[in-house]
Amino acid sequence: MPGTATFPDVEPVVEDIGGGGPTPPPGGGDGGDDGKRRRPGTPSPNRYYTGITLGIVSILMFFMALASAFLVRRGTSGDWVPAHLPAVLWLNTLALIASSFTLERARRSLSRLDLSGFGKLWTVTTGLGALFLIGQLVAWRQLVTQGVFMASNPASSFFYIFTAAHGLHLLGGIGALLYVLFGKFDNAGLRLPTAAEVVSYYWHFMDGLWVFLLALLYLGK
Amino acid sequence: MTSCDNGANHPDTPRTGFLYPHVFSINHKTIGLNYLWLALFSVFLGMAMSLLMRIHLVWPGVHLPFLSSLGNSPDRFAALTTLHGSLMVFLVLTAAPQAGFGNYFLPLQIGAREIAFPTLNLLAFWATVASLLGLTMTFFLSPHPAITLWIVSVAIFCAASLLNALNFSVTTIDLRAQGMTLPRLPLTVWSWFLNAILGTLIFSILLAACVCLLSDRLLSTHFFPQLYFLTSPPDGAVVNAVPVLWQRLFWFFAQAEVYVAMLPCFGFVTHLVSTFSRTPVWKERLVVLALCGVGLFGFCVWGQHMFSSGMNPLSPLVFSLLASSLGLPAMILLVSWLGTLWNARVQLNTAMLFALGFISLFLSGGLSGIFLARHDLAAAAVSDDFVTGHFHLVMGVAATFAILGALFFWFPKLFGRRLNEPLGKLHFWITFAGVYCVFMPMHWLGLIAHSRVSPGTPLASVAVAGSAIRTFITVAILLTVFAQGLFLINFLWSLFRAEETDECNPWRATTLEWSVSSPPPADDFGPSDPVVYRGAYEFSVPDVAEDFMPQHIAPEQGTKVRESGE
Repeated sequence: MPGTATFPDVEPVVEDIGGGGPTPPPGGGDGGDDGKRRRPGTPSPNRYYTGITLGIVSILMFFMALASAFLVRRGTSGDWVPAHLPAVLWLNTLALIASSFTLERARRSLSRLDLSGFGKLWTVTTGLGALFLIGQLVAWRQLVTQGVFMASNPASSFFYIFTAAHGLHLLGGIGALLYVLFGKFDNAGLRLPTAAEVVSYYWHFMDGLWVFLLALLYLGK
Repeated sequence: MTSCDNGANHPDTPRTGFLYPHVFSINHKTIGLNYLWLALFSVFLGMAMSLLMRIHLVWPGVHLPFLSSLGNSPDRFAALTTLHGSLMVFLVLTAAPQAGFGNYFLPLQIGAREIAFPTLNLLAFWATVASLLGLTMTFFLSPHPAITLWIVSVAIFCAASLLNALNFSVTTIDLRAQGMTLPRLPLTVWSWFLNAILGTLIFSILLAACVCLLSDRLLSTHFFPQLYFLTSPPDGAVVNAVPVLWQRLFWFFAQAEVYVAMLPCFGFVTHLVSTFSRTPVWKERLVVLALCGVGLFGFCVWGQHMFSSGMNPLSPLVFSLLASSLGLPAMILLVSWLGTLWNARVQLNTAMLFALGFISLFLSGGLSGIFLARHDLAAAAVSDDFVTGHFHLVMGVAATFAILGALFFWFPKLFGRRLNEPLGKLHFWITFAGVYCVFMPMHWLGLIAHSRVSPGTPLASVAVAGSAIRTFITVAILLTVFAQGLFLINFLWSLFRAEETDECNPWRATTLEWSVSSPPPADDFGPSDPVVYRGAYEFSVPDVAEDFMPQHIAPEQGTKVRESGE
């Protein structure tokens, strides 16, 4: 379960993010050494934040390519048959938005060193994420029973590809949530608050991305 | 001044067996070298294919034992062209300068011991291997499954490139050594970094396009219905409008991909020109801005490939202007190279010759690019051969020259031995003359092909001239390809037989990779992290015993050297 014996050394994460960039040594005319050098061979923990930010940009480009294809394809063809979005999607959206709130509550518990509260809320977040995915499957099933398949028409193709691509990315997010819940952390490598914050960036992004995709599908039908 | 840590005071990581140190190692140097081996294999395979294509084109009746069946039907010939292009663009021009040299030298040059996410790096390498296998396999399949496999392979390559780009960006942003501020970064690192940012943005686009294309082929969707227009156009689809969708997505990637291949080469050439002119890079910060400009403009010019696709009438003008604006950063780079060379004591070794060869080819290829950037001229006056000649000169061959220059430059660091200089120079001159003989006439061929449709031109004379030029090109290709044998001999002989050198800095260069032994120890910098005290191009510094100041030499050490020099 969450937390290990090494955890009480936790510090506020914010200190890890700020600054960035190496300090110029004396003599180069660029300033002085502030004595904050890392131990030899220890890479900066900032890499996780930078990595997830660039990863998010990259994933955003992937979905923007699909979204622009959606708009262009809708505007230039006569074979577009608007699909009715299953009502369960709204419930799924609520679950996902709620999961973002519980995730933030969990991180607040973590910053107060309340490990059991963190564990509970983090588990609820993971559960809500899983609920969202199950809900998406239910939506697919409802469409299939109505006879709307992937290849039925361009609108349904886009619906399935958007939900599938987002679902796969969210599945990765659930994997990351579980890793934070069950993984082993120590102060030398990746620390629990760092991991939790990095995963929270991704999770909120997935949340926002879904709201955008739903709006696109709803307004663009 | 040339002090280096030979790694004697700290043990290497234990290396046993073959699989761990070579195949599953997460060390950035091993992975970088593996990428270079992959690129070397691909470049020779791709070159052999180009030779086969030219032979089939000029002497269709000739029988080559074992090889004739590979390209003597329209299907096979098209497969040969596709595979040649895919291997060269993806596995050579994208993989070698960025993933190969970048993986090996980016951490070394910024003073990092490892890349930001080593396991992802290994994953990216094996995805690239899988992509190479897939691309090569397509050649042995019938067209339909072959195209599907090709798309899957390209998608895998995109994913690998994304992981690479992510790793490079994060490493440059967060893992720099103490004192390695942005203005002190070597220009090679700038180019790898900017390239990684560009890669993060464009490979996602191609991945999305590949996903849609695969869905069309395997799940019978209609994201890009124009692909079936030849046989059965779907009802209600607006012909000529829908293909634009695929073209947009594809060219959005493909035009920027040209700069993905070129950006690291700009970095190599600037680095080599400065090092072998013993002069600081002229207007170094302006060069960084120009590299940013290449990335930015390169991202915005995809529409220049779609002048005839029925886009908004104003768009060609905008794209044409943007494409022509690329001349500005290119001109800044060129002026900087010439400014660095001006009045310099140039050392004309093979690495420098290849760098100068790059400048020449880039200029020649760039000039014909100006014609192609004009939306009115491109459609009216030129045909395919002109475009083929243009992009081979400026992208294919120029980039290959930069890669070869970088290889000659870094070979002593990679293997602790030097490539043979006389053989290298002979290889350079034959290749340099050869590629001009191959690709310059292609421009003429493009112009002649157009004149065929002009009124009043005797068709027979045009056909005869075209045929003579084609034969000339093929003979020139034969000679150029066989000249690469010289390189292969030089490479293999130097790798196994050349005298081992214990010099850590044979070129008297300034950047951090030359401060460690050759090849570098497993943990790169020994027990203490390197510290950087100055910019990357401090050559011909006054009052210093030697004519350069390495980045890692502390000012007080520099003073001592200065005193001893006096």
